[in-house]
Amino acid sequence: MKRPLGLRERFERHRKDTRFVAAGLGFLLLLLTLAYYLIQRGRDLPSVVVTNKVLLFALRYANLVLILVIVFVLTRNLLRLWLDRRQRALGARFKTKLIATYVGLSLVPVLLLFFYANELLKGSIDRWFSGSLRTVLEQSSAVAQALQAEVADRDHREAARVARELARSDAADVQAGAAIASRLERWREESGVDFLGLYRETDFVHAVVDPRSGLNDLPEVGRQLLLDALEKERADRVILPGGTHGRLILAAAAGPPERGGRFVVVAGTLLDPVTSGRSEELIQAYQSYRQLEVQKRDFAMSYRLMFILVTLLILLASSWVGLFLVRRLMQPIQALAEGTRRVSSGDLDHQVEVAADDEMAGVVDSFNRMTSELRRSRAEIDRSQNELLAANRGLAEERAFVAAILENLASGVIAIDRDGRVLSANRSALSILRQRESELVGRQIESAWSDPERRRLAGLVAELTEHPRESTEISLVLGGNRRTLGVKRRDLRDSAGREAGQVVVLEDLSDLVKAQKLAAWTEAARRIAHEIKNPLTPIRLAAERLRERHRENQGAVGPLLEESVDIIVREVGTMQSLVDEFSRYARMPGPRLLATDLATLIAEVVALYREVKPGVTVSAEIEPGLGSVWIDREQIRRVLINLLDNAIEASDAPGEVVARATSRGEQVMIEIADLGPGVPDEDREKLFLPFFSRKKRGTGMGLAIVQRIVSDHNGTIRVAENSPRGTVFIVELPSR
Amino acid sequence: MTFFGRWLLLGLVLATPRGPEIRDLSINATGGQVLVSFRLDGGMSPEIRERIESGLPTSFVYELELMRDRKHWWDRGLRSSRIEVVAMYNAVTHEYLLNTKHDGRLIGSETVRDADELESTMTEFVSFPAFVIEPTPDRGRFLVRARVDLGVGAMLGFIPFQRSTAWLESNKVRLSAGAP
Repeated sequence: MKRPLGLRERFERHRKDTRFVAAGLGFLLLLLTLAYYLIQRGRDLPSVVVTNKVLLFALRYANLVLILVIVFVLTRNLLRLWLDRRQRALGARFKTKLIATYVGLSLVPVLLLFFYANELLKGSIDRWFSGSLRTVLEQSSAVAQALQAEVADRDHREAARVARELARSDAADVQAGAAIASRLERWREESGVDFLGLYRETDFVHAVVDPRSGLNDLPEVGRQLLLDALEKERADRVILPGGTHGRLILAAAAGPPERGGRFVVVAGTLLDPVTSGRSEELIQAYQSYRQLEVQKRDFAMSYRLMFILVTLLILLASSWVGLFLVRRLMQPIQALAEGTRRVSSGDLDHQVEVAADDEMAGVVDSFNRMTSELRRSRAEIDRSQNELLAANRGLAEERAFVAAILENLASGVIAIDRDGRVLSANRSALSILRQRESELVGRQIESAWSDPERRRLAGLVAELTEHPRESTEISLVLGGNRRTLGVKRRDLRDSAGREAGQVVVLEDLSDLVKAQKLAAWTEAARRIAHEIKNPLTPIRLAAERLRERHRENQGAVGPLLEESVDIIVREVGTMQSLVDEFSRYARMPGPRLLATDLATLIAEVVALYREVKPGVTVSAEIEPGLGSVWIDREQIRRVLINLLDNAIEASDAPGEVVARATSRGEQVMIEIADLGPGVPDEDREKLFLPFFSRKKRGTGMGLAIVQRIVSDHNGTIRVAENSPRGTVFIVELPSR
Repeated sequence: MTFFGRWLLLGLVLATPRGPEIRDLSINATGGQVLVSFRLDGGMSPEIRERIESGLPTSFVYELELMRDRKHWWDRGLRSSRIEVVAMYNAVTHEYLLNTKHDGRLIGSETVRDADELESTMTEFVSFPAFVIEPTPDRGRFLVRARVDLGVGAMLGFIPFQRSTAWLESNKVRLSAGAP
C-alpha cells in the first residue's frame, strides 16, 4: 500500500514547482509592498515610532536575515557551479554565463539604485536639518515663548502690586471676606487680569475671575506654584483650566512675612484658544524638530535600513528568479547533454525525463524518439550481425570442411585467380607437383612453374583455358620420376556468376597407368597364349593324323601329308606374324623428334588410302599455316596409317573418312573421323590395350602401338563420338 | 616605552571621556527591607540633556541585585530589582514630568521645573526601598550590586548588545529581624 507523503516530502518534491516559486515571489512582493508602505508612511509617523529601537532592530535583523539568505543562495549556487566546472560537468560553462548574466543584470541596477537612494536620503536629511529651518523654528518657538513670558511678566507685576497693596492694608480687612472680595475685584479690574487669587502660604483665601474671560470656574493653581512663589518670590505656570480651550498663564508673587503666614497673590491671564493654540503649535513644532534632530542618526539609520531591506528584497527576488530561470533552462539542456553522453557511451536505453512544456519539450521528445530509433536500429543491427556471424561461422565451418576435404583429397586442386596468381593449392597438389606451398601459393603461375617440365603443365592449363575440354593427361618428369597426370580445368565463378579465375585439378595417374599396363600385359599374355594355342591345335591334329596313318601303314599318305603340312605351315605362319607384331611393339624405339611438315605428312598418307575401298572417300582438312611440328615422322606416319586403316575398315560404302589437322596454342590436334557404326561405350576404355581387337582377324596391337607412339611424343589420344555418326580419334601433340 | 611615551599614554587615558558610572552605592537594612542609596555620575550627558529638552521620553534604568555574601565562593544572587526613571519635558509649561517605576510598577510621579532638580531626581537615590526579604534571615551578610542600563547598542550596525555600566557592589550588611 502506498504510504501518504508527509509535508516535508511533499515540499521537497514540489520545492522547485512553479507554484511554489510563484508563492515565494508573491511573498516577496508583499514584503516589498510593506516596506514601501513603511517608507511612505514614515513621513507621517511620529519620530518616536520611526526611531523606535524595536523597529530599528527589527529592520536590522530583517536585513541580516536577508543578507544571510542571499549569501547562502548565491554561495550555494556558486559552490555547486564551481564543483560542476571542476568536474567538467556538461553545461557548467553555459550555466556559469547564464548565472553571471542574471545576477549581474539584477545586482548592478539594484546596487546603483540603492546608492542613489541612499545619497538622496542623506541629502534630504541634511536639508531637513538645515540651519535656516532650525532658525525659523527656534525663533518661532522663541516668539511664542516670549508671548507667554510677557503675559507671565505682566501677571507677575500685577500680582506683586496686589501683594504690596495687601501689605499696606490692615490684616483684619484682609481677613474680612466681603472686604477682600471687593478689593480683589477692584484690583483685578485695575490690573486687567482674568484671574486674581489670594492665598496665605498655601491656603486659599479668596479669588476672583473676570466673568467675560471665559473662565467659568476658579482654576486650580497648584500647591507647587505657591511653594515656589514663597521660596523664590516669583513663580509662574501655564495651565489648561477646565471648561475652556485657552491656556491660563499664572504668575505668583509672595508678600512680606507676616504673622500668620505670608500672603501669596496669583494673577492669571487666559489666552484665547486661537492664540494659545498657535503659540503652542509653534513651540511643539520646534520641539518636534529638536526631537528629530536628536534622533537624526537613528532616523537616517531607520530609513537606510529600510532602503537596504528593499534592496535586499529586490536582490533576493532577482537572484532567486534568475537562478530559478537558469535552473529551469539548464535542466533540460543538462539532461539532454547527459543523455547524449550516455547514448554516446552506448546506453541506448537512456530516456531524458524532464517536465517541460515549451520548445524544449519538443527537443526532449525528439531526443527520446531518436534514442528509441537508435535502439531499434541497433537491435536490428545486432540481430543482423548475429545472423551474419552465424552465417560466417557456418561458412567458416563449411570452408574448413571443404578445406579439409581438399586437403585430404587424393587429387591436387589448385585455385588460380584471373591474373594468373595461385590462390591456393592443397596438399595433394603440392605433393604431385613436388613443390612447397611457398613456391606455389601467392605466385604467378608462370613464375611458379618456370622449369621446363612444369612449364608444359602451365601450357596445358593455358590450352585448356583456350579450348576447354573434359580432361587431358600429361606425363611429366617431376623429382626425377616420370609421372602421368590427369589434368582438369574449370572456370572459377563467384556467387554473382562473375569469372573469378580457374581451378585446376591434377590427378596422379601413374599408378593407374602402371596397373593398366600390368593388366594390359596380363591380357596380352592371355591373348598371346590364346593366339598361340589356336594354331597349335590344328598343328597337333595334323601331326597326329599323320602319325595315325603311318601306324596304320595305309598307302595313301601323300595327300594327307600334303594337307597336314599346309596346315602346319599356315598356322606357323600365323604364329610367326603374331610374334613379329609383338616383337615390333616390344622393340619399338624412342621417337627422334625433328621439325616435320605435318600437313604434307597427312596429305601423303591420305593419298595412299584414297582409292582403297570403293564408295568410301578419304580426304584431308589441314588448317592453313599449320607449320612444322617436332615429331618422329615415321612413327606418326604409322599412327596415321593405323587410324586411317581402322576408319576405312569400319566404314561401309558409301562412307567418308576425314583426316583433320589444326593448331591449338603450342599443340596440334589431329582428328581421324569416320561415319561408321561407332564404338560402344564399354569398348572405348579397352581400345588402346594390346591384343584387344573388335576385328575377326586383328592382332589387337595396332591401337596399342598408336597410343605408345603418341605417349612417347608427350601427347594424348582419345576416342569420341563423331557427328553426325561414327567415331573420331583425336591425337594431341605438342608442337615443339 | 620612553618617558615621553608614558606621559602621552597617561594623557590619552585621562583625556578619554569617562562614561556614566554608579557611585556611592550603600545599603541599609531595616527589618526585612533593604534600603539602597547611590548616585549616577556622568549620566546626564549633554546628549541626554538635549534629548530630554527635545521632549523625547528619556529614561534611566537601574538594575539592582541582592546577593548573599559567600567568603570563598561566588556570591549567591537572591533577588533582582529594576528602577526606571522616565523624564519627559513639556516645552509649553516648561516642566519635566518624572515617573518612577519600581519593577514595572509606578511608584511616583512628579513635575519639576529645574534642570538640576531633574538631574538629582533621576540620578540620586537615597534609602530607596529596593528589596523586602521576608522572613528575615538570621545569619549571613548581604550586599547589593547595581548598574545602569544605557540601552541597546548595535555593533557593526546590526549586532545588538546591551550597553550598561559595570556592576558596583555595595557594602555588606546583616539583616536582623528587629533592627530599626
